[in-house]
Amino acid sequence: MVKRFFKDIIKAIYIAEKDLKIYFFKAPNLIFGIFLPVVLYLAYSLGRSVELTFIIPSLVAMAAFFGAGAIQSVSLPLERRTGTFKMLLAAPIKISTLIFGKILAGFFYGIILSLIYFAIMLPFSPLLNFYMFFLGILISSLLFSAFGLLLSVPFRDIPQAMPPATVVRIAMVFICGVFTPLESMPITLQTVAYLLPLTYSVDALHIAMNGPLNIQMFIIDLGVQILYFIVFLIIIIKVLKKIIE
Amino acid sequence: MTHIYTSENAIDVLNLTKYYGDLLAVDHINFNIRKAEIFGFLGPNGAGKTTTIHMLTGIIKPTSGSATISGFDVTHNPFKVKGLVGVVPEDSFLYEEMTAWDNILFTAKLHSIPKEKRLRLARELLEYFDLYERRKDRISTFSRGMKRRIMIASALIHEPKILFLDEPTAGLDVQSSRQIRDIIRDLNKNGTTVFLTTHYIEEADQLCNRIAIIKDGKIITIDTPKNLKTITQAKNLIEISFDRTKNIHNDLKMLDHVREVVILENKFRLYLEKPFLPLNFIFDFAKKNQLKILSINTLKPTLEDAFVKLTGLHTKDMAIEKEHIKRD
Repeated sequence: MVKRFFKDIIKAIYIAEKDLKIYFFKAPNLIFGIFLPVVLYLAYSLGRSVELTFIIPSLVAMAAFFGAGAIQSVSLPLERRTGTFKMLLAAPIKISTLIFGKILAGFFYGIILSLIYFAIMLPFSPLLNFYMFFLGILISSLLFSAFGLLLSVPFRDIPQAMPPATVVRIAMVFICGVFTPLESMPITLQTVAYLLPLTYSVDALHIAMNGPLNIQMFIIDLGVQILYFIVFLIIIIKVLKKIIE
Repeated sequence: MTHIYTSENAIDVLNLTKYYGDLLAVDHINFNIRKAEIFGFLGPNGAGKTTTIHMLTGIIKPTSGSATISGFDVTHNPFKVKGLVGVVPEDSFLYEEMTAWDNILFTAKLHSIPKEKRLRLARELLEYFDLYERRKDRISTFSRGMKRRIMIASALIHEPKILFLDEPTAGLDVQSSRQIRDIIRDLNKNGTTVFLTTHYIEEADQLCNRIAIIKDGKIITIDTPKNLKTITQAKNLIEISFDRTKNIHNDLKMLDHVREVVILENKFRLYLEKPFLPLNFIFDFAKKNQLKILSINTLKPTLEDAFVKLTGLHTKDMAIEKEHIKRD
């Protein structure tokens, strides 16, 4: 049982390694992942006075959000269109292992992009708790990788998958407190924001960077993200199994 | 829970059925395949060939019925089954961005083959398929025939006992097709059971020990190519060419024993009512009409004739249908 579990983990890592190599670490995708958050932020904040301490956690959250999720929305539909997905199904691996491998790829990519942003911006701003901040990046990348896969799982080609995924992502960025603190938004939008996972990622990173160090709130933020991750994972597996059958 | 059957066959299929929603794709099919046999699955598009392969290789679950691969039930032991079979799909399902070497090794990793062994096997397979020198090239630079060989190599990396090939020579040039057929024969000589779907009747005739013809999800017949051909023997075909073709067609139709006449360029194909008729009436006809007989052939029934008779579908239609689907 334990041996089989470790075999599954290793297979998931092989799938992640392959995905990183052929989908994620491509020059256009790297450029997209690095520049999109900063371009979006500049487009919104130019001409406004925004504190750097507010910008950094938001940018890191966006890097995880777009880095882990955007390319993820491409890999599964592409595999389904080219047929390589059938080759994966013909191998002795569980659907859950296959999905986990794909999520791992986005997870690693999200961490790398977030850390790039973090490393560039850290000298310009104080950091209250590095470990909490890093933990926030890990959980956010895991969640957003699964979210990216969830948005793509019903589709069997990129042109079908990308438009809805892009609309959902951009809308979330504007609602979830990335550009504007939640408190300054209307109550209705705040209610919607609390239903969306990005809100909790941004909040956790803000707590870790700027404080106040409300551990209870931080744990709630991480807990909600983990809960979302589990729900997304279950939905992805169920939908994919249904599609295959 | 392990379901192990003590079958001596490589594959046993019992009432295997698959529904996609309300669509019945495979309808209670039954057959078995002996070890080291080349078994052909012949049928038009949408007949249920690929769905059957997907069920037998554990990719999809049957709606009902059962199938065992070397005694292991495909529904209850899909992992064991996937370890016993190699699958070569119709289209190139390789990662175009990856090299030939990396594609094969990736498959090996998913089969949990230890590093040293997978490196050795990958090398041996690429050498066998005459592609070792191209191992570091991306798949996107390969021809269709080369891709097909890499796919077979990938399917063989875990040393399967049974190889499933879905239309292995579809879309290949003559030389590549011949190479693939030679590889199939070679693998079979070494004891690999081969399950082959094809819409090339001649290919099935050349390669297969037995053939199942499937149409609308149902198996119409299973037999050896030789026995299938005898089904059409009663047709009794004669092909004849004269020194002229004008105004003969109707006269030929009026002859005793002739059921139907078809013009083929400068030849006439006569469908006779009875088998083994003496051909004197043809010679008398030629003499009476002052015709010189340039050639006369009694045709042996082909597997194609059997197929057409059994399915009611012409093989040309199958090929055209196939091309349409590819273009779409």
